[in-house]
Amino acid sequence: MADATNNSGLLQVRLVTPDRLLLDVTAAAVELPAMSGYLEALYGAAPLLAELGAGEVRLHGGNSGDQVFFVAWGFVEVLPERVTILAETALHPEEIDLNAAQADLKHGEELWQQAGDDQVKYDEANSVTRVAEEKIASAQGKH
Amino acid sequence: MANVLDLRRRIRSVKNTRQITKAMKMVSAAKLRRAQERAMQARPYAQMLTSVLESLVRRTDLINDVGDIMHPLLVEREEKNVLIIVVAGDKGFAGGFNSNITKAAQKFIDERRSLGQNLDLEPVGKKAIGAYKKRYPAATYEHKEEIYDNELSKHIEDIRHRADPIEVSFEHPTLLLRTNFDDVTAMAHSIIDRYERAEIDSVYIVYNEFKSVIQQRVVVEKLLPIRKLGSHEVTALEEMTEEQKEAAGKAALSAGVSINEPEQSEIEKEAKKFGTSEVDYIFDEAPERLFRHLMPRYVTTQIFHALLESGAAEHAARMTATDAATKNAGDLIDSLSLTMNRVRQAAITKEIIEIVSGAAAL
Repeated sequence: MADATNNSGLLQVRLVTPDRLLLDVTAAAVELPAMSGYLEALYGAAPLLAELGAGEVRLHGGNSGDQVFFVAWGFVEVLPERVTILAETALHPEEIDLNAAQADLKHGEELWQQAGDDQVKYDEANSVTRVAEEKIASAQGKH
Repeated sequence: MANVLDLRRRIRSVKNTRQITKAMKMVSAAKLRRAQERAMQARPYAQMLTSVLESLVRRTDLINDVGDIMHPLLVEREEKNVLIIVVAGDKGFAGGFNSNITKAAQKFIDERRSLGQNLDLEPVGKKAIGAYKKRYPAATYEHKEEIYDNELSKHIEDIRHRADPIEVSFEHPTLLLRTNFDDVTAMAHSIIDRYERAEIDSVYIVYNEFKSVIQQRVVVEKLLPIRKLGSHEVTALEEMTEEQKEAAGKAALSAGVSINEPEQSEIEKEAKKFGTSEVDYIFDEAPERLFRHLMPRYVTTQIFHALLESGAAEHAARMTATDAATKNAGDLIDSLSLTMNRVRQAAITKEIIEIVSGAAAL
């Protein structure tokens, strides 16, 4: 395994979930679904802290080949030679339960209708809907 | 005096019991190892979340220009309504595990009552629910729905009506079956919601802390309001006695479970550095926003962590209890065998005397 001081031009990528360390590999590039849109980290990137929304984390190159994970909410720290991702949920796209996601989507729409003028509830409904939509898109490979 | 047949039956039955308790001990030991591993694997995430929050706190002001505190979970109020989460087990046969927790919780409840505070109980695990359900009434909520805008939107609100000083607000009977982060998130959100609405003014959790088989104690930890990140505000309620430690140590030894606290893994050490490098990070978002999303998660991980530790502690307690039961069964078998042999000997002696005296009478 490459250590943090490598000069190979590869990023050390870690994906941590509440249950365990899911991934500890190297990659040439990492795509991240930040709240403000997708961003891609390469070796030597400027230090960055960002919140992740729902979407796909994609790894390219490196010792384990291309990999895709669906994440729903997370936090990422990008350092020049390392990317550490905290993800509340991380799944392989094929692990996604499509029916459950569709049920979530419906639930999100219901919440949205019930939110009325409450901004907090409105935000929550939007986030539920967004996660469900992204989940469905990811499961169907539409990204 | 009992006859030989009865004693033989009794011995057979105790032997069966011993076999069952021995099997239970091995099962508990295996479950304990797994629970310990799960708790270990969950640590990096919790550590990283704490580190990044600490780092954010250092870089931003918690109080903005107009004097508002940045996050509702940092707001401290006078404690009038206190919520307490009590984590016990789902099953018995675990020595004093469940009763120790309910006893400790009761101490806390009594103390708070004497200060005139109201309490909401939130029991986790069937044993805790059983202990409180009969004694205290359930909290009542008035469900209110308003429809407006030509039935296009609805406003839903649950209003709490407190009738008793001590009430059971919610029960969590299935949370321990498979301690799953999503379920804990739902529970934490409900509690945070009540805290933000000022239905409750502080939140505590009573659980069995587990460092290793011989380092356990029942503690009460303050969850809300958050005073200082990363430090657990813990008060010990019940420590292990030397005797208990010895019994637990012996049980662990015979079941092949390590009694030492597992060492910090490499990733855990690195987790402390998450988001804390001495560089100028580019922030993708305003710190207030990050804060708003990170704080509830911090609370969730703390509850998750407590549940995992309590799970490990329950298995450890069951392992120790069944080990003691196995040993007692062995002792009982020895003493019963001794009595049986004595009775048999006495019967033989009696028969010989009868034969001899019969022969002499001829």
